[in-house]
Amino acid sequence: MPTILSYVAVQNGKPTRSSLEALSRAREVARARGADLAAAVLAPDAAAHADELGRYGAATVYAVSDPIFRSHLNTPVLAGLEAVIARAQPEAVVFPSTEGVKDVLGALAVRTAAAVLPDVARFEVAGDGAVEALRPVMAAKFLARVRAEGKPVLVSVRAGSYEASEAPAEARVEAVPFAFDEGSLRQTLREVVSSAAGAVDLSDARVVVAAGRGVKDAEGKRLVEELAGVLGAAIGASRAVVESGMFPATAQIGQTGKVVSPDLYVGVGISGAIQHVAGMANSRVIVAVNQNPDAPIFDVATYGIVGDLYKVLPPLIEAIKQRKGTS
Amino acid sequence: MDERFDCIIVGGGIAGLSAAMALARADARFLLIERGEWSGAKNVSGGVLWGTDLARLVPNYWEDPEPGWERYVGRRRLTFMDERSAFSLDFASAHFAETPYTGLTVLRSRFDRWLAGKVEEAVAQSAVADASFLAQNILVEEVLMEDGRAVGIRAGEERFFADCVILAEGVNNLLTRQAGLQTAYVPAEGLAVGVKEVIRFDRKVLEDRFQLSEKSGMSNEFVGFATGGVEGGGFLYTNRDSVSVGLVLGMADLRAKGGTPYDLLNQFKAHPVVADQLRGGEVVEYSAKVVSTGDMRVMPKEVYADGLLVAGEAANLVLNAGRAIQGMDYAMRSGLLAAETVIEAKRAGDFSAGFLRNYRTALENSYVMQDLRGFQGAVAVLHDPAMFTSVPRLVCDFGRAFFTVDNRPTRKAYQILRDVRKAHMSYWDLVKLGARAARSL
Amino acid sequence: MKFCVCIKQVPDVTAPIQVRDGALVMDAGRVVLNAYDASAVEAALVLTEQHGGEVEVVLVGPERATETIRKALAMGAHRGTHLVVDEGTPLDSHAVSALLARHFEGAGCDVILTGKQAQDTDAGLAGGMLAERLGLPYATNAVGLALEGDTVVVTRQGDTGQEVIALPTPCLVTCSNDMNDPRIPNLRGVMQAKSKPLASERVAEVPAPRVRVLGYEPLPQRAPGVRLDGEPAEQAAEVVRRLAEEARVI
Ligand SMILES: Cc1cc2nc3c(=O)[nH]c(=O)nc-3n(C[C@H](O)[C@H](O)[C@H](O)COP(=O)(O)OP(=O)(O)OC[C@H]3O[C@@H](n4cnc5c(N)ncnc54)[C@H](O)[C@@H]3O)c2cc1C
Ligand SMILES: Cc1cc2nc3c(=O)[nH]c(=O)nc-3n(C[C@H](O)[C@H](O)[C@H](O)COP(=O)(O)OP(=O)(O)OC[C@H]3O[C@@H](n4cnc5c(N)ncnc54)[C@H](O)[C@@H]3O)c2cc1C
Ligand SMILES: Nc1ncnc2c1ncn2[C@@H]1O[C@H](COP(=O)(O)O)[C@@H](O)[C@H]1O
Repeated sequence: MPTILSYVAVQNGKPTRSSLEALSRAREVARARGADLAAAVLAPDAAAHADELGRYGAATVYAVSDPIFRSHLNTPVLAGLEAVIARAQPEAVVFPSTEGVKDVLGALAVRTAAAVLPDVARFEVAGDGAVEALRPVMAAKFLARVRAEGKPVLVSVRAGSYEASEAPAEARVEAVPFAFDEGSLRQTLREVVSSAAGAVDLSDARVVVAAGRGVKDAEGKRLVEELAGVLGAAIGASRAVVESGMFPATAQIGQTGKVVSPDLYVGVGISGAIQHVAGMANSRVIVAVNQNPDAPIFDVATYGIVGDLYKVLPPLIEAIKQRKGTS
Repeated sequence: MDERFDCIIVGGGIAGLSAAMALARADARFLLIERGEWSGAKNVSGGVLWGTDLARLVPNYWEDPEPGWERYVGRRRLTFMDERSAFSLDFASAHFAETPYTGLTVLRSRFDRWLAGKVEEAVAQSAVADASFLAQNILVEEVLMEDGRAVGIRAGEERFFADCVILAEGVNNLLTRQAGLQTAYVPAEGLAVGVKEVIRFDRKVLEDRFQLSEKSGMSNEFVGFATGGVEGGGFLYTNRDSVSVGLVLGMADLRAKGGTPYDLLNQFKAHPVVADQLRGGEVVEYSAKVVSTGDMRVMPKEVYADGLLVAGEAANLVLNAGRAIQGMDYAMRSGLLAAETVIEAKRAGDFSAGFLRNYRTALENSYVMQDLRGFQGAVAVLHDPAMFTSVPRLVCDFGRAFFTVDNRPTRKAYQILRDVRKAHMSYWDLVKLGARAARSL
Repeated sequence: MKFCVCIKQVPDVTAPIQVRDGALVMDAGRVVLNAYDASAVEAALVLTEQHGGEVEVVLVGPERATETIRKALAMGAHRGTHLVVDEGTPLDSHAVSALLARHFEGAGCDVILTGKQAQDTDAGLAGGMLAERLGLPYATNAVGLALEGDTVVVTRQGDTGQEVIALPTPCLVTCSNDMNDPRIPNLRGVMQAKSKPLASERVAEVPAPRVRVLGYEPLPQRAPGVRLDGEPAEQAAEVVRRLAEEARVI
C-alpha cells in the first residue's frame, strides 16, 4: 500500500498549525488514493506527539528523537528526513512551508532524487502518482499550474491553504534510529535570538494586526500593541517598519517575510505594496486603516477606513473592548 | 581610461539616442546619461513617429526580426466630434506601405529601449567601442560651467568632463533653464497636458476592427467634443496588440475650465464612436505628461551656447497643428543635427558658441524650423475656441443632416450648410476662421 | 577570498502583466536583476571591501541576460560568467542548480552566495540544491553575513527568531533582501563594467526540468470591500459592528 508522508514541524513543544493543515490535506489525499497516512516528527522527544497526530489521522508516526532538534539546524534535519523517507518509501511528502522547511527542501530533493513543488496553495496527487499544484508566482499576482513526477515528490504548502481538521486514528509509533555524529555537523549554532519569548508564530495566528510606515513613533506602536491586545492578535509588520527596527524581522509579512491567512487581518498604516499583499491576500477578512484613499491596500480590504491611524485606533480599541465586554 | 569625452548627452530619449547614434558612427567618444531605469522607462508618448529619419539611424529597420516599432501608419483619420456624432476624413493609401515608411506607431518604452540597443551595437562596432557609454538610472543634476562654457556634468558626487554637452532632457528642461537658455518660467499657455492609456486587444480582433494588415496601422486624430470643450485634441493609434488612446489638453484652458485630464479621457473613451472602437479592450497602462504646444514664443532663447547644444523637446521643438502631433521626428532630426555639428566642431577643434551656431543654422534650414515657423498660424487657429466647439458641431450637424434619410423633402447640401452655420457661428466668424485655417494649414 | 554570486534575470513583477490563454503576457524588455541576488552581490562587495578578495557573478540565461551581468559588474563585481542557453529554454531550480554545480566544480569559490529565492517564481530551491550537489555546508535566508578569518558567520531569519550560524569555507549562503540595500551603480561603475572580464559559455545540453508549468491563471478575485466614512468614532463603531455581525470574526 502506497504511503503519503507528512512532515510535522514542532515549535515551542507542539506541532504548528500549518503542520496540522498540511497533515489534514495529506490525509484527504491519502484517503482518495487508498494510501497510508504517515507523519514524520523530528524533535527531542518525537514520540510524545504521536497521540495528537493520531487525532489528525496519522496511522504511522515516524519519530526521530534527538536533543539536537531542540533548535533548528539544517544538517541534522536533512539526515533525519532522509532516514524517514528511506524507511517509509512515500510517493509524496507533504510539508508546511515554514522557514525551517524552506531551509532543507532543496537539498533534500537532491539527496532523495525527488521532484519538489515548493510553497503551493493547492495540490492533488494524480492517478499516476504525479503531483499537480497551484502556486502563486510574480509576487502572488498569478497562479501557476505545475506538475511534477517521481518518487517521491516533495510538496510544501503555504500556511492557511487548507483547514486543519481532526479524523481520529490509532497512531502506531515507529522510532527511527538516529545516531547523529556531531563530526558530520559542519556548522555550529552560536546562538538563537528569539524575538519576544514564546511569541506566537504569526503564520499560526487567527487574528493579525500589522503595522506599516504609517506607524511613526512609540505612541503609534503602543496603539498597535493595544489593538492587538484587545483582539488577542499576533503582531505583524511591513518591511518598512522591520527595516527601521521598530518591529522584529519575525513579524514581517509578505514575499520576503511570512505568509499569513488569519480570519482577521488589520493593516495599520500599510500602503499595500504587492510584495506585502503577497503575504496576506489570503486572509478571510481584511481591515485597512490608511489616510491615503488611493492606497492599494484598499483594493484587497473587506473594510476600508480612510483616516489617520492616530485618530482612528483609540476609538476602535474602545469599541472592541465594549463589544467584547457585552458579548 | 582617459576620462575626457568629446560629448556628454543628457537624456536617452529620441533626441539623445539619435545624437548618440550619429556620434558612434563618427567614432566620437560620448557618454549618454538617462535617468530612467532604461531608455523610455519614463515616457508617455502617444506615439506616431512621422517621417523617414529612422531609416538614417537604423538602415532597413523594417527588416529587423525584433522591431522596436509597432505598425506603420497605413490609414489616417481626422475626426470632428460633438457629443453624439463624429464626422471623419479617412485616407488610406498603398503608398504608405512603401519603405521607408512615413509614419510608425511606437510605444516608447519598447521603442527607446530598442533604439538604445541599436546605439550599443553601433558603439561596439565603432573605433572607440570601450570609450563611449550609455548609462541608465542616473540623474544629471548640473551642467558644469567654467567661465561661461559648459565643460561637463555632475551626477551625485561624480563629475565628468567633455568638450561639449548636448541637452536632450525633454520637455521638463531644468538643465536648459539652469544654463540660462530658457527663462525659468514657461507660461501655462505654452504647455499642454498629455494623458494616455494603452488598451490591449487580441491581435486578430484589433486587425479586423481597424482593417489592418499584419504590419499596417491607423492613426486617428480627434477635434471637438473629444476634449469636452477644453482646448486640445484627442488621438487613437493602433499598436501591435493594443491601441494608444489619449488627449492633449491646453494647460491654461484646462485650469480655467476645471476638470481633470483623467475624467476628460474617460469622457472621450465613453463617446459612442470611440467606445465602439475600444470595446472588449483591457487597460494596461495609464500615464500623464506635460507636452509643449508648439507655440514658438516659449522656445528657449537659444538652442546653443559655449560648449552647449539643446535638442528635441528640451528646445520645445514640438508642433501640434491638428493634423498630427510632431515631436519625436523633430527630436530625431535635431539630435542628428546637433551631433553633426559636434562632429564638425571636433574636426575644427572649436566648441565655442560661434561655431556651434551652425547647429542653429542647420535647424533653420531643416523642415523642423520651417514647419514650426510656417505653422504658427495653424497653432493659433487650433487654439481658437471655435475650433473645438462650434466648428466640430457645425461639421457634425451638417453630417447628420446630410447623411440622414427620413421621409421629408431632402434639402440640398448648401441649404443644410447655411442652416447649421446659422445655428453655430456668424457667417463672418466662419469666413475669418476658414481663411486663417486655409492660410495656415 | 573568492565570492561567487549566482544571479538571475527576472521579469519586473511591478510591470503590467496579463494572462492570455494560460500564458503570461508581459513586455519582454522589462527585466531586472533579482532583488535577492542584488542583496547577495551587495553582501559580497561589502565583505571584499573589508577583507579583500574577488567577486564573480554567474548567470544562466539567454543572450539578452548579459545586461543583468553588466549591472552586477557596474555595482562592483569583478568578473562575470554567462552560461548561455537559448531564449525560452525551460529552466527550473533543479536544472539551474545542476548547471551551476557543473560550473563551480573546481572553480575554487570560497563562498557561494545565491538569493533566497527568485522574485518571479519564489521557488527558493536552487541554493540548497546547489549546496547539496557540491556537498557544501550551507545556510539559507541570511539577514546578516560576516567573516571571521576563514569562518563565515551567518545570521539567518528563522520561524520564531534568528539563528547565528558559523560555517567553514567553502560554503554556500542564500541571502534575503532584508540583509542590506543594494547599491545603485554610479557612472564610474557603469563605465568600468564595460571593460571587466565577462566569459560567456554556451551550455551544451540543459538538464530537463523536474517541474512542468502547465499554465497560468489569474488569482481568484476577492469580493469587493466597503469604505467606512465619517468621523473616526463612527468609523470605529461601524467596523466593529460589521466585524461582529457581518463577518463574525470578533
Ligand atoms: C523583492 C522584494 C520583497 C519584498 N518583500 C516584502 C515583504 O515581505 N513585506 C513587506 O511588507 N514589504 C516587502 N517589500 C517592500 C514593499 O515593496 C514595500 O516597500 C513595503 O511593503 C512598504 O511598507 P509600508 O506599506 O509600511 O510603507 P509605505 O509604502 O511607505 O506605506 C505607508 C502607508 O502609511 C500611510 N500612512 C502614513 N501616515 C499615516 C497615518 N497617520 N494614518 C494612516 N495611514 C498613514 C500612507 O498613506 C502609506 O500608504 C519587498 C520589496 C521587494 C522589492
Ligand atoms: C501624450 C503625448 C502624446 C504624444 N504624441 C506624439 C506623437 O504622436 N508623435 C510625436 O512625434 N510626438 C508626440 N508627443 C511628443 C513627443 O513625445 C516628444 O516631443 C518627444 O518624446 C521628445 O523627445 P525628446 O528625446 O526630446 O525628449 P524625451 O523623449 O522626453 O526624452 C528625454 C529623456 O531625458 C531623460 N532626462 C530628463 N532629464 C534628465 C536628467 N537630468 N538626467 C538624465 N536624464 C534625463 C528623460 O528620462 C527622458 O528619457 C507626445 C507627447 C505626449 C506627452
Ligand atoms: N538562471 C539562473 N542563473 C543564475 N542563478 C540563478 C538562476 N536561477 C536561480 N538562480 C539562483 O538561485 C536562487 C534561487 O532561485 P530559485 O530556486 O529559482 O528561487 C536565485 O536567487 C539565484 O541566486
